[in-house]
Amino acid sequence: MSLWRQLTYGLRSLAHRTKRDRDVADEVEQYFEEAAAAWMARGLSVEEARRVARLEAGNMTVVKERVNSYGWENAARSFVGDLRFAARQLLKHPVFTATTTLTLALGIGANTAIFTVVQSILLAPLPYQNADRLAVLDTHWTNSGHTTPRVTGPDAVDVRDQARSMEAVSLYAGGDLGVQLRDHSVYTELIFVDANFGRVFSLQPIAGRLFTDADAHHAALVSEQFARDNFGSTQAALGQMLHVENEPLEITGVLPSTFDFPAKTQVWEASPLRPESESRTAFNYRAVGRLRPGVSFRSAQTELDGISRRLETAYPDANRNKRILALPLQQALTGDARPTLLLLWATVGLILLIACVNVTHLQLVRSMERRREIAIRKALGSSRWQVMQPVILEILLVSLIGGMAGVLLAFPAVRVLVAMAPRELPRADEIHLNGWVLAFTLGLAVLTALVSSMLPALRAAKVDPAEALKHDASRGMSRHGAVRFRDGLVIAEVAATFVLAMGAGLLLHTMMTLRSRDMGYRTRQLLVVDADAPAHSEQDAHRAVQQFNEVFAQLAAVPGVEHVGGIMGLPTGNYGSNGYYKTRGGLPVDLGHEASSIFNVASPGYFQAMGIPIKRGRDFSAQDTYESPFVAVISKSLAKQSFGNDDPVGKQIQCGLDSDKWMTVVGVVGDVRQESPAEQPGPALYMPMTQHPFYANQIHIVLRTGVKPLSLMNAVQEKIAEINPLIALRFTTMGAMVNKSIAAERFRAALISSFAGVGLLLAMLGVYGTVAYSVAQRTFEIGIRMAFGAEKSVILRTVLEHAAKLACCGIAAGLMLSLILARLVRGMLVGVRPMDPLSLGAAALLLLLTALAAAFAPGWKATHVDPRVALRAE
Amino acid sequence: MLASSAMTDLNTDVIQGTLDMLILKTLSLEPMHGFGIARRVEQISRGVFKMNPGSLLTALQRLERAGWLDAEWRQTENSRRAKFYTLTRTGKKQLESETSDWTRRASAIARLLKAEG
Repeated sequence: MSLWRQLTYGLRSLAHRTKRDRDVADEVEQYFEEAAAAWMARGLSVEEARRVARLEAGNMTVVKERVNSYGWENAARSFVGDLRFAARQLLKHPVFTATTTLTLALGIGANTAIFTVVQSILLAPLPYQNADRLAVLDTHWTNSGHTTPRVTGPDAVDVRDQARSMEAVSLYAGGDLGVQLRDHSVYTELIFVDANFGRVFSLQPIAGRLFTDADAHHAALVSEQFARDNFGSTQAALGQMLHVENEPLEITGVLPSTFDFPAKTQVWEASPLRPESESRTAFNYRAVGRLRPGVSFRSAQTELDGISRRLETAYPDANRNKRILALPLQQALTGDARPTLLLLWATVGLILLIACVNVTHLQLVRSMERRREIAIRKALGSSRWQVMQPVILEILLVSLIGGMAGVLLAFPAVRVLVAMAPRELPRADEIHLNGWVLAFTLGLAVLTALVSSMLPALRAAKVDPAEALKHDASRGMSRHGAVRFRDGLVIAEVAATFVLAMGAGLLLHTMMTLRSRDMGYRTRQLLVVDADAPAHSEQDAHRAVQQFNEVFAQLAAVPGVEHVGGIMGLPTGNYGSNGYYKTRGGLPVDLGHEASSIFNVASPGYFQAMGIPIKRGRDFSAQDTYESPFVAVISKSLAKQSFGNDDPVGKQIQCGLDSDKWMTVVGVVGDVRQESPAEQPGPALYMPMTQHPFYANQIHIVLRTGVKPLSLMNAVQEKIAEINPLIALRFTTMGAMVNKSIAAERFRAALISSFAGVGLLLAMLGVYGTVAYSVAQRTFEIGIRMAFGAEKSVILRTVLEHAAKLACCGIAAGLMLSLILARLVRGMLVGVRPMDPLSLGAAALLLLLTALAAAFAPGWKATHVDPRVALRAE
Repeated sequence: MLASSAMTDLNTDVIQGTLDMLILKTLSLEPMHGFGIARRVEQISRGVFKMNPGSLLTALQRLERAGWLDAEWRQTENSRRAKFYTLTRTGKKQLESETSDWTRRASAIARLLKAEG
């Protein structure tokens, strides 16, 4: 109540200032009149009564002023007055104001944009109920230190049944799959989840119901989006049938669009609580769980360690050294993005620091000009604070305006950032500016103001009036300390910019290396078709392979297509498998260090279509059937790893992909980089599709084309639909896939380079400012030199030399900083050393040129000083 | 110190911290304007306390904003426009608590002084 009154009364008196003045005056006058009247009533004359009243009550004007000055609004008013003064000062110096505002807008804008991303991804809680209690289970091997985000079915079931710290545990598996609707099929993110899933996330369907364990293999939940796209509305989707791998599923419920786990999932198929895979060495599942209220991750882990130990004793072969970890879901989701985001944050922090130095510097230059004014004010008795206040207020004002401009800049910047972000960036849909970000920006603006005004303000406070008034800066007699200090600031700025430029150089060089790397196959002119043929039984799988073989033959006849092949395990693709293998007649293997490889299932003609050279032996052929002896093709690395210099063709090899049959090696092919250009080529084992049909119904079809690959899309789609319309299809090119595989590297390189560009711009401003100022100050000195016949080129050279000297000092300091900081980006570099001479040289040269360019304009001005004018000036 | 006037002039300052209470008490009888309050306090205290208009009028603003008083411009008996203050309900409560607090402390001081004497 009273606070409300304080506020409204204050605001009212601010708004109606004259009315309040009048009221107070009226009240005071009335008081004095009454006082006088009282004395008159006691018999004094009018004159005497007034005199006594005044004697008793004091001076009326003083009283009015005293009463008038009550209230918080008066303090606010005087502050506003000071701000108005500061604003007027800023308007009088438009160049200073524009430069500082722009500098701060860039610095604060970059920070706001990056903080928006950091806040939304790393700091904001996940948009699920009890998000802080959600956990994922990982498997960790204590001997090798290796961790996988997967678990085996039996291990996870033991955790689910035994761990008292976990309220619910749910297993899931799956990914990109073809889903057959009534008349067509679509590629969809689909996962198989057990009935506990709903409990873990406290799910509430927006229509229908969740499924129970009895619904396994018969029911599915779909996303709001999926329901709308395929059935028109959420209600219409209920009761509809889907087919996945030839299994009919009824849609029992629709999940709200706010629920997005695992990311981008459209269909959640019910799978049984008892997992189908009973192996303790097949990591077929992922698991999420929810801790009981009040249980910490630490105590949950202690319990899981106990369970892990018991399992180790019970299953010494399969579970040796295995430890099951419970990690917070948020950490598991965002962990990979963390280093990149923190690097970006550090970078924009550095930019803000450069911006602060720039503003400090500009303000220092301005306060040098104001030394006389400050000296006079001090001589007239202004306090330290009164002298410092205008400096601080000016910067505060500029910071706030810069902050606002920064927020405006951040809106489009965030949009560009999200659009550029690699697909793996988690929670990208949740990124938006919000109250936290605005509070952060406001805080940042105020902090910036404080940091950058500290030195100028203290300097202003230290001005000695006697000294300053005697001293005349315009005669080229500035104090040495001040000059050195300003030079120091510029050097610091150049050093920080060098670090940024160096980082950008390293990441750009990495990008160049990656782009020019030989993948082991030809990436151009290659159409890629993701194809998923529904298959459930063994019969289905054989039929799918037959259909695919027919597809390959038909597609080879399409005009523009040169070669066709199919594969499970395409480089940079979604599918793949890997594991241990054994050989007969190969090199001996240490116990505990079994040879491992990636496993691919391919069709005849795949190597030719990809442009992977066959080094020895032969490709698969139509004669390699399910009934004929099993065969395999190996990569050069695998040959070297297991057979050394022997000819591997004719040797025997066995892997646990789907059958224990021994396969005869019939060929050796060139190595490929499997995941991305950043990866080293490694061992690969290829097996024919006909002999491994269970791994051959979800494949990539690759077409080497003589024309633009995507132009064949319709023709290819028609051909495949003729053979089987239920095969789900999706099109892309090999070039696009490889590009996507280095999206994270490109994202980093692009961002750090743009930030380095901003830093460079700021450094340029800094150098320009300091050189321009020193030239202006030395006009008198230059005039004298010119009067004595100094060459223009000599004058220009001295100016440029000054700038070059500053730049070189800055580069040297930046180099040392880079030495220390380089290890931070080491993990992000491929084929480039942290002290890469190319990046180093480029960064140094760039900065030197920038400094010289910035100094050139004031240098040119110096050569045009007219001695007569300069000497007469003042 | 030679200031003889200080010896002869009796201290008429309001005891610190009691100004609000005195104002509230005076207004609990009837709505009054500023001078009215000052005169009433002076009369009832038989001239022991004299109020300074600067302090009084500022205090009135403060009490008004605290919500203890309401103010209204009205005519006085000699038809002069004046600002009249009225005690609000919260003001009444405040007066009660201040009064009891004061009584408690004043009697404590009185006991102490007696004991010393």
